[in-house]
Amino acid sequence: MLDISDLVTAYGKIDALKGVSLQVETGKITCLLGPNGAGKTTLMMTIAGLLHPRRGSIRLAGTELVGLSPARIVGHGIALVPENRLVFPQMSVRENLLAGAYQRNDKSGIDADLQQMYARFPRLNERNEQLAGTLSGGEQQMLAVARALMSRPRVLLMDEPSLGLAPLIVAEIFNIVRELNRDGTTIFLVEQNAHMALQVAHRFLLMEQGRITFKGMPGQLAEDEVIQRAYLGTRRAAG
Amino acid sequence: MIDLIQNTVDGVMIGSSYGLLALGFTLIFGVMRRLDLAYGPSIMIGGYFGTLLYLHYGAGPFAVAIAVVIGAVIAGIYVERLCFAPMKAGAAIASMVSSFAIWMQLEQAAILVLPRHTYPFPPLATAAPLEFGPFLVRVDHLIMLACALALAAAVHIALYRTRFGLALRAIIGNPVAAHLVGINVRTAVLLAFAGASAVGGAAGFLVLAVDQQVTPMFGMWATLKGLIAMMIGGLGSVPGAVVGGLLLGIVEANSQWYFGPQIRDLVAYVVLFAFLVVRPQGLLGSAPEPAMPPKA
Repeated sequence: MLDISDLVTAYGKIDALKGVSLQVETGKITCLLGPNGAGKTTLMMTIAGLLHPRRGSIRLAGTELVGLSPARIVGHGIALVPENRLVFPQMSVRENLLAGAYQRNDKSGIDADLQQMYARFPRLNERNEQLAGTLSGGEQQMLAVARALMSRPRVLLMDEPSLGLAPLIVAEIFNIVRELNRDGTTIFLVEQNAHMALQVAHRFLLMEQGRITFKGMPGQLAEDEVIQRAYLGTRRAAG
Repeated sequence: MIDLIQNTVDGVMIGSSYGLLALGFTLIFGVMRRLDLAYGPSIMIGGYFGTLLYLHYGAGPFAVAIAVVIGAVIAGIYVERLCFAPMKAGAAIASMVSSFAIWMQLEQAAILVLPRHTYPFPPLATAAPLEFGPFLVRVDHLIMLACALALAAAVHIALYRTRFGLALRAIIGNPVAAHLVGINVRTAVLLAFAGASAVGGAAGFLVLAVDQQVTPMFGMWATLKGLIAMMIGGLGSVPGAVVGGLLLGIVEANSQWYFGPQIRDLVAYVVLFAFLVVRPQGLLGSAPEPAMPPKA
């Protein structure tokens, strides 16, 4: 579905991504693990079009996305649930969801999807008219996920959805990830929580210092080693 | 007591135009998080469009109003393209300084085209003031108040009842997330600039028509009044802009009556200073949230 090859993204003279190639398969949960500063968020922002790569290509079902504006990329079917959620704090839950459907014009379809979000996330239904800035962290995360889904993405990107949340809420979020995938959503997930991520992922990748250093299935690498490399990184080449 | 009420009524009338000026300013500040010092001068350019039409073709107030709005929108888009669109995120100071340069440029352009200090402007209404018991109300002031309230309501509806308003509020709330939900932020910002300039142009027309004259200094005047009203009301707050404008008008009208015109502007600055010390977020503004830039 999503095919990334030889992607290089730089901040000034420093390459944050040093030639990243990976595939996200249709209908699967692909998980990217790696320590802080490995370039995971940079990769997500580059796919979403917020950062421009120096070279390389990002293809979604064959369509090249590099060079398109973030709005066009959403139109092609990519939705990113950003790190730190970034809900619109002064807008109601409902308005946040409608903003998520900004590019769509099918009013009845949008209404149907709204009802579907309320069914999937009952807390959002309860807080429908409340300002998003007043929600708890977990509720904001659910809102950010629901907002992204409102664009009916072909691939859902999630950047550290467990960040800063209590363990019970984290488990809830991962349940949602699993449910969404069961209903057919292709998911590309960035995580630091290796333990949770390995439980839901069909395939996983390790990223260290701007490079992909492992690609495989959960179980192909001992969890201890994954955790060590996901949190601390190694210098050993692998994969 | 009668004086106080009469001054306050006058102040509300005048203040409605300040509120409208602040409203345009607030829209620009909200979507850009940057100060556009050339906001007033863009409106002044609109004023010169209007006076040209009046001088050469004897156009009436309605045609002149449209000319002022069009002129202000053209100048506003020019400022956005030059001072705001090319500046990268984080270059807020560069935008402000370049908008100051454009302010000077616009002022010089106006002086070049019409070199006298003052030019006439068509009046809104020439009817005698209306009497309500001991109080007098100027007809043109009433028209100004009505137009200002109608425009403020229109802006409110545009922001809270339309798709484009949703996009603007999303950009004001979090520009990165606005990109991520598929809003074309650059286009929306340009349109917001044009809309804000149109609101400012309408405010400028009302003030100029009441004064019946335009000078190149009107640009500075409009920037200052809009800025003070916006800061009193609360940075980025739409109702705050209107309330701030009305309050500024009331304070000015009373201080002019009791202390004279020289003291009037001084009092306005003292009020602003007091707000900055005691309540820096303004009357209706919320305490500033730390901006969350995308993490590398």
